[in-house]
Amino acid sequence: MNIIVCVKQTVDLQQVRVRKETREPVFDNVPLTIGNIDKNALEEAVRIREKVGGKVIAVSAGSEQLADTIKEALAMGADEAILVVSPEFEGADSGVAAAALAKAIGRVEDYSLILLGEGSADNYSGQVGPRLAEILGLPQVTYVSSLEVENDTIKAVRNLDDCFENVEVGTPAVVSVVSEINEPRIPSVTQILKAGKKPKEVFKPEDLGIEITRSIDTLSNLAPEQDRKRILFQEGADKDVASLAAALEAEGLVRR
Amino acid sequence: MDKFDVIIVGAGLAGLSAAYTLAQAGIEVVVIERGDYPGAKNVTGGRLYVNPVRQYLPDIWDEAPLERHVTNELLTMMSSENSTTIRFRSEKFNRPPYHSYTVLRATFDRWLASRAEEAGAMLVTKNLVDDIIKENGRVIGVVAGGEELGADVVIACDGALSLITEKAGLRSPGDPKNYAVGLKEVIELPRETLEDRFGLTGDEGVAQLFMGSLTQGCFGGGFLYTNKSSISLGMVVGIKDLMEKKPPVEVPNLLDDFKERPEIAALIRGGEQVEYSAHVIPEGGIDGLTTLFSDGLLVAGDAAGFSLNMGITVRGMEFAIASGVMAARAVQQARERHDFSAASLACYQQMLEESFVLQDFKTFRHAPHFLENPRLFSFYPQFAGRVMEEVFTFGEGPKAKLSDTVRKHLSFGEAWRIARDLWGGLKI
Repeated sequence: MNIIVCVKQTVDLQQVRVRKETREPVFDNVPLTIGNIDKNALEEAVRIREKVGGKVIAVSAGSEQLADTIKEALAMGADEAILVVSPEFEGADSGVAAAALAKAIGRVEDYSLILLGEGSADNYSGQVGPRLAEILGLPQVTYVSSLEVENDTIKAVRNLDDCFENVEVGTPAVVSVVSEINEPRIPSVTQILKAGKKPKEVFKPEDLGIEITRSIDTLSNLAPEQDRKRILFQEGADKDVASLAAALEAEGLVRR
Repeated sequence: MDKFDVIIVGAGLAGLSAAYTLAQAGIEVVVIERGDYPGAKNVTGGRLYVNPVRQYLPDIWDEAPLERHVTNELLTMMSSENSTTIRFRSEKFNRPPYHSYTVLRATFDRWLASRAEEAGAMLVTKNLVDDIIKENGRVIGVVAGGEELGADVVIACDGALSLITEKAGLRSPGDPKNYAVGLKEVIELPRETLEDRFGLTGDEGVAQLFMGSLTQGCFGGGFLYTNKSSISLGMVVGIKDLMEKKPPVEVPNLLDDFKERPEIAALIRGGEQVEYSAHVIPEGGIDGLTTLFSDGLLVAGDAAGFSLNMGITVRGMEFAIASGVMAARAVQQARERHDFSAASLACYQQMLEESFVLQDFKTFRHAPHFLENPRLFSFYPQFAGRVMEEVFTFGEGPKAKLSDTVRKHLSFGEAWRIARDLWGGLKI
């Protein structure tokens, strides 16, 4: 059973800081990685393969460093990768991403399942999975927290926050997962070393007839304003405790 | 057990320089780094002297992501209320090839790692090497992330508190007097603001060193380097002095006090702290060096103790780069002999002895002892401050001659001790 996992290259969010003065996130020189929920999708694919055999194929579209970033997916257990690389994918919207991934997936002859994270680590639009399913004419199951594959049938549990939904669908299908579905593995040293030697097909958008258009203009990208109260109590513990309690109460943070 | 030609532990300057050199020679080399990416765990004050290392990595300097070339050298003696600064600017330093640059390791190391990878080196990050594997007394590999990995030669470049050399029995756990602790903040400022404040044009930069009251009498000093759009500000303090200090001081507080000094506060005003780091620095000089090689093992960079306090500066990065490259060359020679025994790898020591690395260590062998003199960090900055204060003050009465002013603050005994200190200083 061949499983396709769509992953997105994003900046390592842990390394992003926000410039206090302007509230703009600083992306200069921040290392790139694969989105966290994408790793859950990949982990699920690897677990299914370990049970039923087949291949896990990582598919991604992104900027130049992608061939390097994808090593992380290969180290985690993907067997091969199909990449579409262009600087123009930087900041591209979900429609472009889905169209590009669909074309790349078109290079794979036989697959039973396409897995994705519920949303990307950076934009988190949650649209790429559903768009992809529409383009490919496949059934889709979103927000999956538990997955079982038996022959040609996929049994999934969808986490809809206020309830769970049990779904059964035939293959091939597009499935997006939530982070609680599993705990992604940390690749071992040997797996990391082998990742560099696994097969990668790298395409330019024009090779696959992908057109990168822009339907969204980003006007600004700012961190939320954080206002500190800047109240300092310094009259000694006796008075300060009461003042602090009064201040917290005034803010509606404590109730008697 | 998978086997490779060479395993390098640590992707700092020593490890990456060795990896780059080996990969260029077509040798299969794996670098294992515990940080999320190379440079993530590395700290430097901030300056790299290029001349000593140009020949070791000849083809990288044109493209290397360096910050500013240093044209202004400032030396400041601080006492509690005043400071005396000598500023030296040289137009010669402003003409290429520049001899020294400020540098940010998070940027530089990642770049050097990508060069090494392009050359064919394999880099594994986020993995700690826990142990070495020995067979009949010979190092034959390492244990990383619970896996065994074999190699003809392991190069230990795992920094100041090298676990590998300790496991291999090449060094005993550190003696506090051989180590200092360095703390650093990177403070971001708009490029123009920074250039205005420091009187800089284009890519020229400032290196400023401080000694005196900022370390509260402990061995050490402060530093300030200008990067393109940030300031590296920090201090180095001897661990032994810190341990013995009564009442005890917290090092981060020393740095905070230093930042609040008017001399510094005005320079960093409005800046945003973007990085805070601290690191152990080997300062034992030639006596603090480890054994540099054994069967199947070479040691380079800080792991070997290659960091030298030469009075005004602590140098480590040039030694790291040069020793890393020489370790790689030693491996190449050993491969030709098909012999990775200590006797065969001894050529590494010989190369180091013929290079600036061990020659500098020999030349400056008395430096650690000289620098232990507490008078350097208290008496002299105070003395300079007192004299300067009087020189620039006009009181109600007649002005004293300079010689009288100096004599007033200097007893015969003090003068004698200065002469002795000076003699000690000239010997290094």
